[in-house]
Amino acid sequence: MSKLLSPARTQVLFMGNEAIARGALEAGLNVAAGYPGTPSSEIIESLAHVARERKLYVEWSTNEKVALEVAAAASFAGLRSMCVMKQNGVNVASDFLLHLTASGTRGGLVLVTCEDPGALSSVNEGESRYFARMLEIPLLEPSSFQEAKDLTKWAFELSEAIGNVVMLRSVTRMSHASGNVICGKLPAKSRRAKFDYDGPVMDSRTGPMISTPVVAKHTLHQKKLKGVEVLFEKSPFNRYAGPAKPQLLIITSSVCFLYSQEAIKMLGLHKKVGILKLGCTWPLPPALLKKHLLKTDKILIVEEVLSFLEENVKVLAAGMLKQMGSKIFYGKIDGSLPSVGELNPDIVAAALGKIMKVKRKSLPADYTRKLQKAAALVPVREQTFCAGCPHRASFWNIHNAIALDGRKGFVCGDIGCYSMAALSPATGYHTMPTLHSMGSGTGLASGFAKLAAFGFDKPILTVCGDSTFYHAVIPALINAQHNRADITFIVLDNAGTAMTGFQPHPGLPTSALKETVPAVDIAAICAAIGAKVMISDPFDLETTSKILTSFLEDKGSVKVLILRQACALSPEKKGKKKFNVKVNDALCLGESCGCNRLCTRIFRCPALIWDRIKKKALVDEVICAGCGVCASICPQKAILKTEATV
Amino acid sequence: MTTPIKTVISQKILKKEVLEGDLCTGCGACVGLCPYQVIYHDRTVQLHTCDLENGKCYDFCPRTSTDLNELRNMLFDAGDLTPETGAVKGYYFSRATDRQLREDAQHGGTVTALMELALFEGLIDSAIVSARDQEFVQNGVVVKDEAALRKNAGSKFTVSPTVAAFNRLAATKEAGKIGVVATPCQALALAKMKLKAVKEDRGKIDQLKLVIGLYCGWAFAAQKFKELMGQNDIELESIAGMDIPAGKNSLEIYTGNGTKSFPLSDAQACIRSACNYCLDSTAEYADISVGAARFGDSWEEMRHWNQMIVRTGKGRNLIELAIKRGVLEVRNAPAESLRQLKNVAGEKKKEALKNIIRKSGSAKNLLYLDRHDPVVRRFLAK
Ligand SMILES: Cc1cc2nc3c(=O)[nH]c(=O)nc-3n(C[C@H](O)[C@H](O)[C@H](O)COP(=O)(O)OP(=O)(O)OC[C@H]3O[C@@H](n4cnc5c(N)ncnc54)[C@H](O)[C@@H]3O)c2cc1C
Ligand code: SF4
Ligand code: SF4
Ligand code: SF4
Ligand code: SF4
Repeated sequence: MSKLLSPARTQVLFMGNEAIARGALEAGLNVAAGYPGTPSSEIIESLAHVARERKLYVEWSTNEKVALEVAAAASFAGLRSMCVMKQNGVNVASDFLLHLTASGTRGGLVLVTCEDPGALSSVNEGESRYFARMLEIPLLEPSSFQEAKDLTKWAFELSEAIGNVVMLRSVTRMSHASGNVICGKLPAKSRRAKFDYDGPVMDSRTGPMISTPVVAKHTLHQKKLKGVEVLFEKSPFNRYAGPAKPQLLIITSSVCFLYSQEAIKMLGLHKKVGILKLGCTWPLPPALLKKHLLKTDKILIVEEVLSFLEENVKVLAAGMLKQMGSKIFYGKIDGSLPSVGELNPDIVAAALGKIMKVKRKSLPADYTRKLQKAAALVPVREQTFCAGCPHRASFWNIHNAIALDGRKGFVCGDIGCYSMAALSPATGYHTMPTLHSMGSGTGLASGFAKLAAFGFDKPILTVCGDSTFYHAVIPALINAQHNRADITFIVLDNAGTAMTGFQPHPGLPTSALKETVPAVDIAAICAAIGAKVMISDPFDLETTSKILTSFLEDKGSVKVLILRQACALSPEKKGKKKFNVKVNDALCLGESCGCNRLCTRIFRCPALIWDRIKKKALVDEVICAGCGVCASICPQKAILKTEATV
Repeated sequence: MTTPIKTVISQKILKKEVLEGDLCTGCGACVGLCPYQVIYHDRTVQLHTCDLENGKCYDFCPRTSTDLNELRNMLFDAGDLTPETGAVKGYYFSRATDRQLREDAQHGGTVTALMELALFEGLIDSAIVSARDQEFVQNGVVVKDEAALRKNAGSKFTVSPTVAAFNRLAATKEAGKIGVVATPCQALALAKMKLKAVKEDRGKIDQLKLVIGLYCGWAFAAQKFKELMGQNDIELESIAGMDIPAGKNSLEIYTGNGTKSFPLSDAQACIRSACNYCLDSTAEYADISVGAARFGDSWEEMRHWNQMIVRTGKGRNLIELAIKRGVLEVRNAPAESLRQLKNVAGEKKKEALKNIIRKSGSAKNLLYLDRHDPVVRRFLAK
């Protein structure tokens, strides 16, 4: 039995994301949809695992907007549904989200956003808390694993109480850390779907689900949000702990609560500093805030990334100036805390120490010295593609084609493992100078290609992953074809959503629930648009290179190259080498003119190492994935590959 | 004060001086030596950067600085040297005795006949000539028999990276004896290899046993040539041959549907810019150099004849063998003809030097040439 189905009252070690999934199950979840994205992916994955037992419908949708639409349909039919994504997913879903919050919902609908302060596995540290304010929906932020479960469960009730979406925000350190959770009851009965729409237009339980009449519905929406404030005033998820008259009040939420607690402990300030921890961060309950703000004149607000909480608290405080007098606020706005990146106990302690004028016991000098010495020994490691990664071969081919063409063409990048080519330019052989959101590479390419009239004569290439193709590329590709943008569009098809852990996508014949489903063929879509389509194996350098150079010469239309080769870490490949590879010392030219270490200096598969003593290249058998590509690039044929016998 | 020693990265200066300096002839001497330098169409491309000093790419390039005197001393008898056309041991008119070969060849078929003979007699094991594909992209190819030689006979006036094919073949060290048909820049590159090869590479280079040079006034840049053909609706695939007939002042393109004629000025607009800086019109660093015959008044009479300069002892032996075996018909050429050739060759040298000075901006800077070289000094405009 999955631990997600543990009986009530048992204590279980859950990852934050599992705690959220468990909370949803306890609430009687029926439908869950999402798009993979770190740090959110485990929620849908663990729900898919128990889907049969719990009679759930779970899917990986093509993108976050569609996921929210799928979840909303369930809600309209009176079911409880959840929609899961990472921070930038909310941007993708936001168009529908704006209309959805205006029409309202029926069955509890919780939008879970798992965010990535510090962008540990993202190319932005965007925050979606502002969406809650902008769209006037409640925002909940758990600050412990127990709360992650409990708040999620309550979120469904809240959603049904106000007939609107509730947003639950987690962060990497909550989603991906683990802690003990006491389980509650799993409901025995499942709901039946029913969609009424014949009632009066203003009746959100029986009428049509539309956002008009806009002003009347908006008025109703805001009235309900006022009701939420009242609920939040008494919520047990908002708590104060500390002295009755603290010198400083910390207001915080999410994992920052844990950092704040630790910082107080580090500085021994528990008699002087109190913490108001908020689990419900929008709309802020004014009476509760007032009660605690009255305790002291100094307030520090601790949060990641932007000053959302701080701004909202200040607006409330300004409105109560007469009753409360003026306060000194510390936080991101006055620079006490950084307004970018992740926080941690040390950062909070530093801010706290400064405000409270206490010195933190510094580390012994000897220890610091030793630490610095050890740090110097750590070898510099650049980010790079894994050994045997198909993207390395793909970018090798792309680079060569661009170099041969000679017009200084470039690749508009996209989001996926292949983003590495932009993040660590040598890894992408300096081909990919742009990187934005999913699908944007193709849109940018479409635009660049139209600049020829302004003297911009360069071949424009763009790449996207297979999953990204379905997610957001199709409109941009159609745009390019329709507007006759001369682009070479390359799909780096590694047969799965590799970056987030091989979730299936519409190109594969399996669903999140492991059912057999129709695979949607990328090549057929591109051909239907009218583009010229070729398919190649990036490991076949000769063929791939030929196609690419011919594409760059072939002017005037959209050309599509699908480079198919499974990810080196994919379940079907992992641990299985296709080739045994080794370097023949006698043939290896090493640093001499004629090679100059092409394999270790330029190609740079991490499994290729340089033997400083022998001055020859060497294959690290442990790291080598056995793709055999290096054998094709060595000018001396000094790298020998032999079919590995299993 | 000590100035830091500047490292001279071969690939970098090759790029700066030759590729970006518009001096690259596309000969292919820097290609096929390593993974970094490649030819694409007729452009030399540096695929990835290399940080070595004293690299072969720079050393072998015919457009990097060279001590030409040293080269001449290494290859030729001092007494044979002429300022205009290099070493001349003998000067002849010639043609292949095989009528069919003359039909297939550019002019008299001398080049192909000599290569056939060298292969047949085992003087060489492989010949490197220039082949074109349907898109008119040229490449050096290794051939080992008569049929393949004849198939690739005829002049293509675009540049061929022939020396790259030599590099690739020679790299094996077990290639055997190699003969190459080379334009002047290619012949110079091959000569430089002999002079500059490092010890470990001697064995590879020494496999080069014969260089038959082609006279060359200039060559076309592939792109411009293709455009000219395109504008005139000539399918590249259909081109069977081309020539600049003596006395006609035109470029003739022979296709399946007959001959198309272009004014010479159209052709000259397609010249590869590197050719403007080339001093050599007779492949001075070859064993034997072959060009179109220029005698009499009738092109039809001349077109199946060649003129030929024998430069080395090896070249002389080959011609004698060719006469003995009856594959070549050789006539002594009149002194007047040689005088005319020298005139034309001298003019090209003067013109090229003028262009070089215009490019560098100073008579003291002759780019890849040494202004103290006796031949250079002789043709520098006073
Ligand atoms: C670019 C170019 C310019 C020339 N300019 C002149 C000139 O100004 N005056 C003059 O008298 N002669 C010139 N020639 C030489 C002339 O065209 C004939 O090649 C020469 O007369 C030999 O004739 P043949 O019948 O013996 O040649 P063939 O027996 O037909 O043999 C010709 C050989 O040259 C090779 N070849 C063809 N094209 C090229 C190329 N682009 N690069 C290297 N090898 C090639 C062929 O593969 C073949 O092996 C030029 C040749 C070329 C290629
Ligand atoms: S590419 Fe080949 S010859 Fe060059 S260093 Fe690597 S193994 Fe040696
Ligand atoms: S075969 Fe070569 S390129 Fe592939 S993983 Fe091993 S060392 Fe790297
Ligand atoms: S120095 Fe040698 S290895 Fe480097 S580019 Fe030149 S020929 Fe190639
Ligand atoms: S002239 Fe020849 S050797 Fe020099 S750069 Fe050009 S192709 Fe290379």
